[in-house]
Amino acid sequence: MNIELLTLSEVVDVNGQAGNFTVTVRKNPRYIDMDKCIACGICAEKCPKLVKDDYNLGLSRRKAAYIQYGQTIPLKYAIDPETCIFIQKGKGKCLACEKFCPTGAINFKDREQIVTLNVGSVILSPGHKPFDPSVFDFYGYGRIPDVVTGMEYERMLSPGGPLHGHLEQPSNGKTPQNIAWLQCVGSRNTNKSDNGYCSSVCCMYAMKQALITETHIPGGGRQTIFFMDMRCHGKEFELYYNYAKDKNIQFMRARPHTIEAGPGGVGVKMLYSTEDGRKVEEQFDMAVLSIGLEAPRDALDLAEKTGIRLTPYRFAETGDFNPVASSKAGIYIGGSFMGPMNIPSAVAHASSAAACAAADLVSARGTLTRKKTYPPEADLAGQAPKIGVFVCSCGINIAQHVDVTALTEYAKTLPFVAYAENSLFSCSTDAQGMMGKIVKEKGLNRVVIAACSPRTHEPLFQDTLKELGINGYLVEMANIRNQNSWVHQKQPEKATQKAKDQVRMAVAKAGRIFPLAQMEVPVVPRAMVIGGGVTGMTAALKLGDQGYDTVLIEKSDRLGGNAWQLRTTARGEPVRPMLEALIAKVKGHRRIEVLTTARITSATGSVGNFTSDVEADGEVRTFSYGIAVLATGAAESVPVEYLYGQDDRVVTHLQFDRLIADDPDRTASLASAVFIQCVGSRDENRPYCSRLCCTHSVKAAVDLKTQKPDMAVFVLYRDMRTYGLNEDLYKKAREMGVLFIRYDLENKPQVSRDGDRLVVRVTDPVINRKIAIDTDLLVLAAAVVPNDVADLVSIYRCATNQDGFLNEAHPKLRPVDMAADGLFVAGIGGFPKPLEESISQAQAAASRASVILSRDVMYLDAIKSHVTEHCDGCAVCLDACPYQAISIIAYAENGRTAKKVETDKALCKGCGICQAACPKGGILVHGFTIDQLQAQVYAALDLPN
Amino acid sequence: MRAEEIRLGKTRKSLFKDHVMSILPDGGNLNLCLTCGACASGCPASGIGDMDPRRFLRLAAMGADDEILSSDWAWWCTMCQRCIYACPMKIDIPQLIFNVRASRPREQRPKGIVASCDAALKHDTCSAMGVSEEDWRFVVEDVLDEVRAGQAGFEKLQAPVDKVGAELFLNQNSREPVTEPEEMVPLWKILNLAGADWTYGSKGWAAENYCMFMADDASWEHIIRTKVKAVEDLRCKAWLNTE
Repeated sequence: MNIELLTLSEVVDVNGQAGNFTVTVRKNPRYIDMDKCIACGICAEKCPKLVKDDYNLGLSRRKAAYIQYGQTIPLKYAIDPETCIFIQKGKGKCLACEKFCPTGAINFKDREQIVTLNVGSVILSPGHKPFDPSVFDFYGYGRIPDVVTGMEYERMLSPGGPLHGHLEQPSNGKTPQNIAWLQCVGSRNTNKSDNGYCSSVCCMYAMKQALITETHIPGGGRQTIFFMDMRCHGKEFELYYNYAKDKNIQFMRARPHTIEAGPGGVGVKMLYSTEDGRKVEEQFDMAVLSIGLEAPRDALDLAEKTGIRLTPYRFAETGDFNPVASSKAGIYIGGSFMGPMNIPSAVAHASSAAACAAADLVSARGTLTRKKTYPPEADLAGQAPKIGVFVCSCGINIAQHVDVTALTEYAKTLPFVAYAENSLFSCSTDAQGMMGKIVKEKGLNRVVIAACSPRTHEPLFQDTLKELGINGYLVEMANIRNQNSWVHQKQPEKATQKAKDQVRMAVAKAGRIFPLAQMEVPVVPRAMVIGGGVTGMTAALKLGDQGYDTVLIEKSDRLGGNAWQLRTTARGEPVRPMLEALIAKVKGHRRIEVLTTARITSATGSVGNFTSDVEADGEVRTFSYGIAVLATGAAESVPVEYLYGQDDRVVTHLQFDRLIADDPDRTASLASAVFIQCVGSRDENRPYCSRLCCTHSVKAAVDLKTQKPDMAVFVLYRDMRTYGLNEDLYKKAREMGVLFIRYDLENKPQVSRDGDRLVVRVTDPVINRKIAIDTDLLVLAAAVVPNDVADLVSIYRCATNQDGFLNEAHPKLRPVDMAADGLFVAGIGGFPKPLEESISQAQAAASRASVILSRDVMYLDAIKSHVTEHCDGCAVCLDACPYQAISIIAYAENGRTAKKVETDKALCKGCGICQAACPKGGILVHGFTIDQLQAQVYAALDLPN
Repeated sequence: MRAEEIRLGKTRKSLFKDHVMSILPDGGNLNLCLTCGACASGCPASGIGDMDPRRFLRLAAMGADDEILSSDWAWWCTMCQRCIYACPMKIDIPQLIFNVRASRPREQRPKGIVASCDAALKHDTCSAMGVSEEDWRFVVEDVLDEVRAGQAGFEKLQAPVDKVGAELFLNQNSREPVTEPEEMVPLWKILNLAGADWTYGSKGWAAENYCMFMADDASWEHIIRTKVKAVEDLRCKAWLNTE
C-alpha cells in the first residue's frame, strides 16, 4: 500500500541532494492495461509469435505477449514491442491478443511516459549480471552442447523451468547420469577476464545443484565438483558441505584445462591433474560452468546518472563503516551491486539501506504513508457453515503431480461446501480479488485454501477475508504443495488421493472454526539493545536517529567490545577513530541511555510491549520497550594446540593485531612469520567456519610484508576463504611473496621447539614434500566462539543453533529477525563476520525494529489458550506450559473459594501443550480446539464424526 | 615422496624464481599461483619424470632451486604455452622454463638441440641442418625445374631466390630441402596462384631457431639479426615465417 511499483521503467536522471532528489523515470509501454488485466493468459495463448524466453536463458520460448514467470509481481501480462507482429509490422496485422482478451486490457495506444518523482532518499539495487563464459574458448561453451552455465542449469533443474525439472542432456535429450561442475569460471581470474574477485556464492550454488540433481536422477547418478577452494563461509554452510560429502557428491580439488566434446558430440571429455599430480581422463554427460557475478551491464550509466562512484570492478563504492552508503549522500546501495553476495547478506543489506534511507527522512516520517482500514466485521453468529474451497495449481508446482480438476470436483461433494474452484496461483492479487467476489456472491462464511504452507501464506488469505468484513480466522489451509506434490512427485495418483484426504480434513475443521478476536497491544516506542559492541552501538544509533528512545545495555564496564582490539578493516580503514567517534555519538545521543556493567534479569510481555528488569551497578531498574536487538557478540577462542600458551612467539589474531599496533618495531624486525588457519574451526568440536579468519590472516600477512618486504611469510590453510572482494587481498599477499601451503585436517601442521628455534612442519600436497619452517612468530587463526547467551535464551525463550549462535527466523529471507516477534539479532552473536557486515546487520536490525516501533498498536495472534468452565484449578497445565503463561487464581463461588487457571495472552504462544495436558477440557487453544482436531482426525480416517 | 625436508623461513636464500621475476614484465606473475592445476591438467609434458608445470613452479616457489635447475623436465616442456593460456592468473611458466634452460651449462644441454644451434651458426642461411647457400639455391632450382617440366599447368611456376624488392620474404624449415624437397612445392603453388610477390633469400631463409630453444640468448640474437638483415638487404616489405 505504501509501495508504488514502476515496472518496465528506467532511471533517466537523478538530480538534487539528500532529502530532496528529483528522479526522472522512463516508463516503457506495457501495451496491456494493468487495471484490466486479470492474468488469465489468453493473450499469450493466442499470440502467434514465439520468441526466446530470456528468463529461461533461451532454453525455452515464450510468446510476444508474456509474463516472465508465474510469480511475477505484479502478475500482469506485457507485450514485447521488439517482437510483437502488430507493433513491428503495423496496421492490419495480427491483433490476436486484442481480439481474444476477455477484459479488453490490450492497449496498443500505450506510449512511453516520463515520470518525475520527488524523493528524499534513493536506494540502488540493480543486481548483477551473470558472467558470459564464451571468452574461455577452452571450455567450449556455445560450441559443445552439453556444456551449460550454472544459471542455465538452475533453470533446467527448476520444476518451473523449461524442462519442468526433468533433467535432459542438451545433446540427446537423455537423463544425464554423470555431471561435472567447474568452479571459478569468471571469478578469481585475471586472464581473459577482469574478475579478480571471488563471486562468493558459486561454491554453495554448485553444491546445492549437485544435491538436487542427485534427487532428480533415478539412482542418484554421479556428481563431481571441480574446485580450487570450497568456500562455505556462511552460517551452517560447512554443515551443508559435510552433508554433501556424506551424500557422495564428489569434491575434486582440480582444474580441468580444456573441455572437449564427447564421442559423437554427446557429453564432454576432460583431462585433469589431481592435487598429487595424477592425470585422469574422464567423461561426463554434462559440464556445468559455475559462472560468477559481475556488475550490471549498465552500472557505468547508472553511476553517471546518479553521481555515485564505482570501484574498478564497476561495483558501487561503499565504505566499511557505512557499508550501504554510496559515495553520494542520500543514495544507498542494496544487494550485489556493491559486490557479489548471497541472499542473506543481500537481504540484510537491503534492510540496512532502508534504515539509512529512513533515518534521513525522519523529520517527514508518516507524512505520506497510508494505513489500511478494514470494514467492520459482519456478525456470523447462528449462520450454518457455508464453505468455499479454492484449489491452487501453484503454476505447475501442484498441478503437475496432483489432479487439481478432480480435486476441485471432489471438494464440491464435501459437507457444507457451497463452492469450489481451481486457479493458477491462488495467492496472486487477481485471484484474491476473484476470491473476494465469489465469497460475497455466494455468501460464503468459511474458506478452505488447498495450496501451500500457512506459515507463508495464511496472513494473505486472512487479509482477503478481512477486507470483506469477515473474520480472518475463518480460513483453513490444506498444504497440498509442501506436504504433497513436492514429496510425491513420482506417484501422481496417490498424491491426488492424499490431496483429497487433506482437503476433506480441512473442510471438516472449517466446519467447526469460529471468529477469533486479536488482542491489541499498544506499542511502547522504546528499543532495548543488548550488547555495547560496534553492532549494538550502531543499532542503538540508528534507532535513536529515528527518534526512538533506546536503552543500550553492556555487560562490561565500557562500550566497544572486540573493536578495541581490531586495528583496521580488510580494506585498511582504521578502526579506532571510528570506534571512538561511535562511542561519543552514542553517549551524547539524547535518545540513547547507556548502561554499562549491566545485565537483563527478566523479560515479560511480547512484541510491542516487553518489560524487563535491568541490573546495572547493583541497582535494578525496570524498563518497558517495544523491541529488543540482541547484539551479544562473540570472542576469540583460546587455542589448545600449536604450543599456544607455551611459547611467547605463538599468538592469536587479536594478539597479533595488538602487537603490530603497539610494537611495530618488533614485528618489522621479524625474519619470518607463519599463520595457521582453522585453529579450532571446521573440526569435530566446532564444525563451522569462522568466516573472518582467512581475510584477517591475509591482511596481516600483507601488513607484515609492507613493513618488511623480505620477511618470509607463510599461511598454512585448508581452503582459502577470502570471499567476495577480499580475494583482492589474497592476490596481493601472493604478489608480495607470501607463500600459501595447504594442509588437511588429517595431516595438520606440527609445531615444535628445536632449542631456541620455533619450527612449523607441514607437507605440501602439490610436491608431496615435508616443509620445515623456521619462524619468529606463529599467528593462530583461532575460532570465533559465541558469547554465552544461556541467560538471554532463557529470559527471551529464543534459541541458538548447535554451535551456540543465536538463530534468525529464516536464514535467507529474515536474516535479522528472530523467531519470536519483536526480537532481532545482529553481529557476530549470530555468526562470525567482519566489522562491515556486522554494521550492516545492525542497521538492518534497526530498520526491521522500526517497522514495529513506528506503529501505535500491535495486534497479537488470536491463537491463544483459553480457560473453559471445565477448569477445576488442578494446575496440571501450570508446569506443562513452557512459557510460564499460566497462573492459578482463587475465586469465590457459591460462598466457597474455588480455583482455576488464568492465561496471560501476551506470554501464551498458542503451542497447545496445556490443552494436551488437561484431562478435562479445562483449557483449549483457539484455532486448534480438541473438537476441531478431532474432526480432522475423523476426516483423515474417513469416519463419520 | 623425497625424504629430505625443504627448509624455509629465516634461512631462505635468494631464489631463482625471484631472479626470473626480476627480468620479466609483471614478474611473469610467478608469485600468483593458486595451485589450481589447470596448467598440469593441460600440459602435454605432465607426468614425464613425475613432474608437471604446477610442481615445477611450486618447487621454484619453495626455493628448491637445485632441483629445478638440474631437472631435465625443462627440456621435456616444449614451451608451447598451453599452461599460460588457461591459467587464471596468467602465470608465465614458459618463461620460467626458458630461464631454467638458459641457466644450464652449455655442455649439459640436450645434444640434439645444441648441435642444431651450432649448425645454424655455421652459415648465414641459419639452417639447423647446416645447408649452405649454394646447396640451398641448387635444391630450389632443381625442384622447380622438375615441377615445371613434369606438372601440367605449372610450367611457369616461380620460386625466386634473392629477388630484390619482393613483397614477401619467405622462410623455409630446412628439414624440407634436405630430406623432402618436394614438400616445399605446395606453398609455392599457393603463393603463385594467389599472385603473391615473394622470394626466398640465399641468406637467413631457415625458419627454425634451435638457439632459442636451447635458451642461448647470444646465439638466438645472432640468428635473428642475420635473418633480419637478409630481409632488409632484399628490401622486402614483410617477413613470412612458416614455423
